[in-house]
Amino acid sequence: MYLRPSTLREACEALVEAPAAILAGGTDFFPALADRPPPPRILDLSRIDGLDGLEIIDGVLRIGARVTWSRIARAPLPPCFDGLRAAAREVGSVQIQNVATLSGNLCNASPAADGVPPLLTLDASVELASSSGTRCLPLAAFLLGNRHTARRPDEILTAILVPVASPDATSCFLKLGARRYLVISIVMVAVLLEVAEGRVRSARIAIGACSAVATRMPELEAALIGASPAALGSLVRPHHLERLAPIADVRATADYRSEAALELVRRALRRCDGAAA
Amino acid sequence: MPEPGSLASTRREVVAGGGACVVAGTAAPPARAQEARKGTPNGAAFPVALVVNGQRRELDLDTRTTLLDALREHLHLTGTKKGCDHGQCGACTVLLDGRRINSCLTLAVMHDGAAITTIEGLGTPENLHPMQAAFVRHDGYQCGYCTPGQICSGVAVLDEIKAGIPSHVTADLTSPVALSADEIRERMSGNICRCGAYSNIVDAMADAAGMTDAAGRQG
Repeated sequence: MYLRPSTLREACEALVEAPAAILAGGTDFFPALADRPPPPRILDLSRIDGLDGLEIIDGVLRIGARVTWSRIARAPLPPCFDGLRAAAREVGSVQIQNVATLSGNLCNASPAADGVPPLLTLDASVELASSSGTRCLPLAAFLLGNRHTARRPDEILTAILVPVASPDATSCFLKLGARRYLVISIVMVAVLLEVAEGRVRSARIAIGACSAVATRMPELEAALIGASPAALGSLVRPHHLERLAPIADVRATADYRSEAALELVRRALRRCDGAAA
Repeated sequence: MPEPGSLASTRREVVAGGGACVVAGTAAPPARAQEARKGTPNGAAFPVALVVNGQRRELDLDTRTTLLDALREHLHLTGTKKGCDHGQCGACTVLLDGRRINSCLTLAVMHDGAAITTIEGLGTPENLHPMQAAFVRHDGYQCGYCTPGQICSGVAVLDEIKAGIPSHVTADLTSPVALSADEIRERMSGNICRCGAYSNIVDAMADAAGMTDAAGRQG
């Protein structure tokens, strides 16, 4: 069954009848099936108005469910979004960025989802709508595991909500893959740094593709508070990353991922330091 | 914010012999909208209208048909190639409302009313698009299978640079994007050529863009 409702209400009602595969950009729909047949019900969001907004209202960036990576990459956003925009320029290829959405990236919940580390450093939430109402969940509470989210079958992710960090905040995103495009990331690091009077006021660091769900590094973040920005790279120690549980797969061994995560965090901190200067 | 839609007029300029470009409304007629709302059973024909290379084409498709299969199997426009069918190779690249996309990764029904440009719409053997002519001049292929996708992507790349859209290698995000071999290589990363004709593809694109050579010197 193919459903193409023109309002959110109709879409939610359709999901009450029976669950469906929900398509925003839809770029991962066929690849994720591999050799399995398509699911019996497809809900196409392409004709619903109001899901393609990208705007800052009262200090919160609202990214509608149909906003593509290209639009994020091209949007004139404050520096705290530089990391997210860098991820938007590197995910897939431009052909994919022009169709695929950040919301879809979150709902697929791949451990290597490029959108997750930057959004974790930005303390993003997701908005979920159903016929019984709307709720918001912090991103860390939404992502439960490999390809597993807290979205109920009757819910649609309608927007990502991102509080705009201080104008002094700088951010960056680094990704390691076998090549830069059209690959699944081996390690990703996102950093958001606030520096005041030559000292780190706050640091938010998230690492992806090294655990079932990308995760913040609170021990490392705490260790950096008050440090001089120039010294940050040298303060990172292996025990700061003990929350990671990298796996070995066709792309890299677990040891390689651990080493690469450490090096990538150091580089990301040096880069953010440079931008803040 | 430079919206991708702003590329549309640029694209129309470069469609060789395109004639009048029919702009179809995206709103579906009421009967069809009703059908889409209450659902179309799998396997049942669903009416889809696409404006392909300037011509309105009406199709009855299984809703699970990709845009690539609609073009190749239903409209018999076989210039667009199926390489990996997974969005990893770029051989199926077409222009959707002026922006390049992988036609294998999208359902045709999602683009009801949209304007699609394929390699057949860029130029004809008698009247090649400048990008096609440059690929011939510089031997920008070997087996030729990836070439339609490379050319469609190449046309979009030059439009994106013209529109000032930065890439990962653009150093200065505040001034206009400078054409260079590095920019071309970076932006063509979504198109793979297993014969390895890359250096000639860069030369062809540099030529089509009006650069004198691929070393980055502006012509």
